[in-house]
Order: sequence, then structure tokens, then C-alpha cells
Amino acid sequence: MKKQVKIAIVAGASCGGCDVAIANLHERLLDVVARSDIVFWHTIADFKKEDLEKQRNIDFGIFIGSIRTEEHLELAKILRERCNFLIAFGTCACFGGMFGLGNVAERYELLKVGYITTPSTENPREVIPGNKFEVNGVDLTLPRLTEWCMPLNKVVNVDIFVQGCPPIEEAIDKFYETIIAYADNGVAPERGTVIAGGKTLCDICPREKPEKITIKRFRRVHEGPIDPNKCLLAQGIICLGPITIAACNAACIRANMPCRGCFGPPPDVLDRAAKFISTIASLVEIENEKLLSDEELIKIVEEIEDPLGTFHRFTFPSGLINKKQEDAEE
Amino acid sequence: MEAVKEKEDFEPRITAFLCRWCAYAGADLAGVSRLEYPPNIIPIMVPCSGRIDPQFILLALKNGSDGVLIGGCHTPNDCHYISGNFKALKRFALLRKYLKQLGINPNRVRLEWISATEGKKFSQVVKEFTEFLKKLGPLKLR
Repeated sequence: MKKQVKIAIVAGASCGGCDVAIANLHERLLDVVARSDIVFWHTIADFKKEDLEKQRNIDFGIFIGSIRTEEHLELAKILRERCNFLIAFGTCACFGGMFGLGNVAERYELLKVGYITTPSTENPREVIPGNKFEVNGVDLTLPRLTEWCMPLNKVVNVDIFVQGCPPIEEAIDKFYETIIAYADNGVAPERGTVIAGGKTLCDICPREKPEKITIKRFRRVHEGPIDPNKCLLAQGIICLGPITIAACNAACIRANMPCRGCFGPPPDVLDRAAKFISTIASLVEIENEKLLSDEELIKIVEEIEDPLGTFHRFTFPSGLINKKQEDAEE
Repeated sequence: MEAVKEKEDFEPRITAFLCRWCAYAGADLAGVSRLEYPPNIIPIMVPCSGRIDPQFILLALKNGSDGVLIGGCHTPNDCHYISGNFKALKRFALLRKYLKQLGINPNRVRLEWISATEGKKFSQVVKEFTEFLKKLGPLKLR
């Protein structure tokens, strides 16, 4: 019993990379197109919100990107109502992505820098998204920013997560198989499925790892040559391999660059930065702990300038404490 | 005026992760020696201060604690598991930086080395920390 599967692809705050990844499956895409009817994809064609509202009984709603404006929020809610399976596609939809780093400031502060105070900006009327402004006698408004950036599952229930920035071919292939199985045999995917590897990046990393990793001092990528065969952490370079899911075939590692963690954490991690603080801090000077004073050890650890931005680069909105707080000063 | 009053009435909640061998034994000693200290503290026994995942501390803060106390064995040689206290020390240093970036006063998390014989130090630390948090006011997360 073959049936045409209805698919809607909606984007929130995204860079467009995931849209490209969806289309980037060569001939396999034809199998999917033959079985499906793409009813909404506003990155590709001129669709408006009303077009999504008109739709009923969408089988797969794919959401790309995080929730950053009120329009994204609205679209996510409409999509949830209209579709059977909602898919958070890519790191931004699953964890908030790089846009999430904006949560270190209030939305007004962000807009002020972006639209008013940057030296290259000339904006005498101080037009910012959310405020009405007049052009040639017509009132225009851009969508307001939501108070904070959020991943999709903080707003609506999500059925399937596809991790990756963007998800690699294998993951998308697996996802397409789900769609084809649903179209051809009516096999419904299990709700709550995460399409990504189950292991961490270190597990598939081809580099040679010493018995005991010990960091004498932290080094940045541009400071001297990097040994392409030795574990990066053992060389003092911060590599997020231990808390990143192995769904990327270690592409950066093979190119002699440390992992930045774009594929998101493995399951059961509550707060990625806290988890990595635990990992990286305990590696510092393991062999000489007792020879150094407490202050000396703390000094080495504090060489890490920006723990939030480095460890939570792609996942800040999904952490335990996921926005800037207002607390009494020291 | 009202804000001041609120601060005076405020009783902070402190979650304390105490290592089984030193700090918890120190707390026990404070108890059997009948030393007085404020009742604001909720002690949790952990096998070693090296077992305390920074996630625990964030969870405690998120779930209503105004402060977190970590108690471990003195460096360099007291740790029952040889180097657990060093792990705690290094994690704590980095966590402080992270908390600062989150906009949370890092002094809400306090690390103290308390040995099994230092019941007096334990009661002193709890007293001081409670006073400090009273002055600082409650942690209001948003």
C-alpha cells in the first residue's frame, strides 16, 4: 500500500546549511520525491505563513533552526498542530545552536549592538526588529525577538531528533529510510527516536591516545605545529571529543583540527559545559598534582578564557542554566 | 525598606556535598561535640570530593539552593582515594569562571578542606557561609 507522504520543511533561526543537506542526497532524493509531496519549504519557494496554516494532515514536519523570533515560535506551533511527526533537524533545532550564545545578553542589548552601535551601521531612526517604522507611507514591522533563544523541544513536543551541523549523509539516509518505510509499508517511526551515533567522538577517533592524558598548559590551535597522529587533548589543545556524539566521522579531527562539538552531546548529558569542566579540569597536571601548590594548579586551569563559549558553543540554550542571570555582584 | 526587611528574614538554603572520609566525618564530630551551627545546611554524603560532578552543583542551584558547599580532604595527602580532592579543586576553579559568565555570583559555591578532626572548622564554615548568603540574598534564577 503505497501512499504519498506529505512533508513540510520549516526554518527558524538557521544558516540554511540544513536545507542544503536535505537536498544533498543525489539520486536517493528521487526515491523520496517520488513518494512525497512537499507542501511547504519557504527556503526554496515563496511560501507564507498562511500556506502552512491551510495545510492539514502533514505526515512529517521538519523543523530546521532554533526559536529566536516570535515568528519562529508561531511557525513551530502551527507546524506541530498540523503534522503527525515533528522532526528537529540539525543541532540548532535539537539544542539551540550557535544562535543560543546570544543568551548571554538581554535581547535589547543584542539588537542595540547589531542595529545601532556597530561602527559600520548607520541607522539614525534607530529601526530595530519589533518596532514599527514607516517607509514610503507604509508601516513595516519585522518580527520581534523572543526573550531568549530556545531549542525546538522547549516549545513543542518533538518526535524525532536528527543531530548534526548539518546532519551527515548517513544520518539523513537513515531518516529518509524512515520516511520511505512509512510511505511503502505504513511503518510508523518510534516517537523520541534520536538519529545519531550512540558513542562519543573519542570512540571513533583515529588518533593515538596515551594511557594517561595529562595537560601541562593549554595551547591554542595557532600556537605551533599540531601532531596529526596524537590525541589533541594530550597536546594541550581543547578538543570537545569526549562530550560530542560520534555522528560526523571525525571530519575535523582527520583534518588536524580539534572538535568544536557541533554535533551535540551524547544522551543523558544534562549540562554540557559542566560535564566538560569535569573532564578537562581533571586532566590538568595529573602526574604532578602533589608537587604543585593549589594556587599553581588553579592558575593553569584558569588559562581557559571562556568556558561558556568554548564548551557550550552549540548547546547553551539546552543547558541546565541556559540564560544570563541577574545576581548580586561579588 | 521592604527589600532590607526581606533580606533580614531570608534564610538561605545550602546544599553541602561532603566527602565520606573527611568532611562528613568532620560534620559528625561537630554533632557529637554538640557544636552549634545554623540549620540551613542540607548535607549529602558522597564517596569522595572527586565524585562531585559540576552538573550536581548546577542542579542544586537550579532546584532552589542559594549556595553550595563542597567539603573534601586537605590537599595534598589526605584524600582516601589519593587524588580526588585535586579533581574537585581544579573543577571548582573552572566552574567559578563559568558561573561568573552565567551572571551568578561565584562565591555562592564554596570549597573547603575539612578533616575528620575539624568539627570546629565545619561549624565555623557553615556559620560564615550562612551569614554571607544572608547578606547576598536569595538566588533568583529566571
